[in-house]
Amino acid sequence: MRNFVFGPLLRLLPVGLLAMSLQRVLFAQHPIHDVRLQFVLALVVAAGAGGGAERGAVAGLVFGLVYDLNGNTPLGLMALAYGLGGMTAGYVHTFTPDPQWWLASLFALVGAAVGELSIPVAEVITGQSGWITGRLLLVVPMVAITAAVLCPLLMPVGRWMMGVKRKKWKAMLE
Amino acid sequence: MFSSLSRRRVLLLVVLTCVLLITLDKRGNPVIDSMRSVFARVMRPFDTATKAVVLPVERAWHGVTGYDDLLKQNQALRDQLEHIKGNDIEARSAVLEYRELLKINQLTSKFQYKTVVAQVVGESPSNFQNTVEINVGSRQGIGVGMAVTDGAGLIGRITKVSPSTAVVLLLTDPEFAIAAQVLTIPGNDTPSSTVPADGSTPTESTSATTTTTTIAGPAVTAVPSFDPKATTTTPPSTTDPFNNIPGFIPESTAPTTTLNPQFTTTTILEVVRETGSLEGQGADKPLNLRFVDVTSSLSTVKVGAVVDTAGGNTSNAPQGIPIGIITRISRQTSSGTATVEVTPNASLKRLNFIAVVLYVANQDAIGR
Repeated sequence: MRNFVFGPLLRLLPVGLLAMSLQRVLFAQHPIHDVRLQFVLALVVAAGAGGGAERGAVAGLVFGLVYDLNGNTPLGLMALAYGLGGMTAGYVHTFTPDPQWWLASLFALVGAAVGELSIPVAEVITGQSGWITGRLLLVVPMVAITAAVLCPLLMPVGRWMMGVKRKKWKAMLE
Repeated sequence: MFSSLSRRRVLLLVVLTCVLLITLDKRGNPVIDSMRSVFARVMRPFDTATKAVVLPVERAWHGVTGYDDLLKQNQALRDQLEHIKGNDIEARSAVLEYRELLKINQLTSKFQYKTVVAQVVGESPSNFQNTVEINVGSRQGIGVGMAVTDGAGLIGRITKVSPSTAVVLLLTDPEFAIAAQVLTIPGNDTPSSTVPADGSTPTESTSATTTTTTIAGPAVTAVPSFDPKATTTTPPSTTDPFNNIPGFIPESTAPTTTLNPQFTTTTILEVVRETGSLEGQGADKPLNLRFVDVTSSLSTVKVGAVVDTAGGNTSNAPQGIPIGIITRISRQTSSGTATVEVTPNASLKRLNFIAVVLYVANQDAIGR
């Protein structure tokens, strides 16, 4: 626990605040087809794709709590959704310990879709109905594609946040 | 840390933590509220720094790409402004007359309540919330539930307040609901009678039979055709119904138009008030109006009718704030109910300066 607090958490919080700020100032102000692209979620799934399911879940939890504290959502709602998203993206490590960029992007796409879709579902569970509509067919793919596109760029940041070093493969000498 | 925990344990830990926090927050927790307040302060320097970087780039980009559009928009707005100027004088006159009538009848008006002007400083970052953040808070007297308006009408209500900021839930959010009313004049066949200017002949009036609340409206002086000799005089005509109101002071009545040389046309209008609950249905969707009395509304409410706030002792929005216009009524023959869609007056995508109505229902209800 001590390692976590003085390791990833110290990095997660400032990066999370900066990402949240970018989300508020840039991405929330400039929706595309009325869809606000989710930079914070993209960072979460990138951390998951870079560090594995457990790290993705923790990154999602911390970033989601930052989101909840900042917004109007009940504390824990976005954390739950983003935690699931980060965890899903991290499942890429069950296939390969060092995924190629395209494979990581693919899992980031799925993870972001799961994360974004979990929000209205979690809202329904907490008694806020009305968001599960046909509009999800536009929102979820757009958010997921954005996360997939940003994933190769954000993966180094995600690895650094979670204290993961990329494996260096060496060719065997004969 | 991560190597010591299995994947299932991590998932379980995350889910349980979230469920616990959601439960605590939903039940109302002062610790969480103060955490939000602290967090808002922590976020401010980050926001300022991000804005300092992002805004110049954004403005440069808009300067390059949006200049032509801006010119066109500017020209269109100038044309629109010229058109509105004409209506403005007429509207001002009507507002003054309306206030005068309210004063005479000792009624309250939305114009009596103080407002605090605020600026929108942020929008909801999520796709599943229609909220905006404004730069006034409890220090300026803002409270949860207060109505928020812009020049065109109601835009929402305050849901969260910190000392220097507040969150406004926009009326398109599915969580939003407010008591609303529709004022209509039943039957387009309301006859008018022509009487001599001396008022010797009694005025005819119509009375629509309806089960809903009816408000006997004031006499409306109608001009059947344009008369260049028409003059506006302050003393009321003898057909003015305000003469019959106890406590009525003839010297301070609303002006009536007397036509030269001989005739004044007077129509007694009866206004039907339908009340109901107006609910948001999500961004870019019209509002849904559910009437208290469904059956009567089917016959009286028409497309194009104005919807405004109904007020009441439990609503923090005073009566009479315009909300929107009925754009569609779809009747369902099987259930006998109707779906009434209302398009808001205010453009919720371009909010900048807004006003919070400093009105608290319970306090105002006392002694009125």
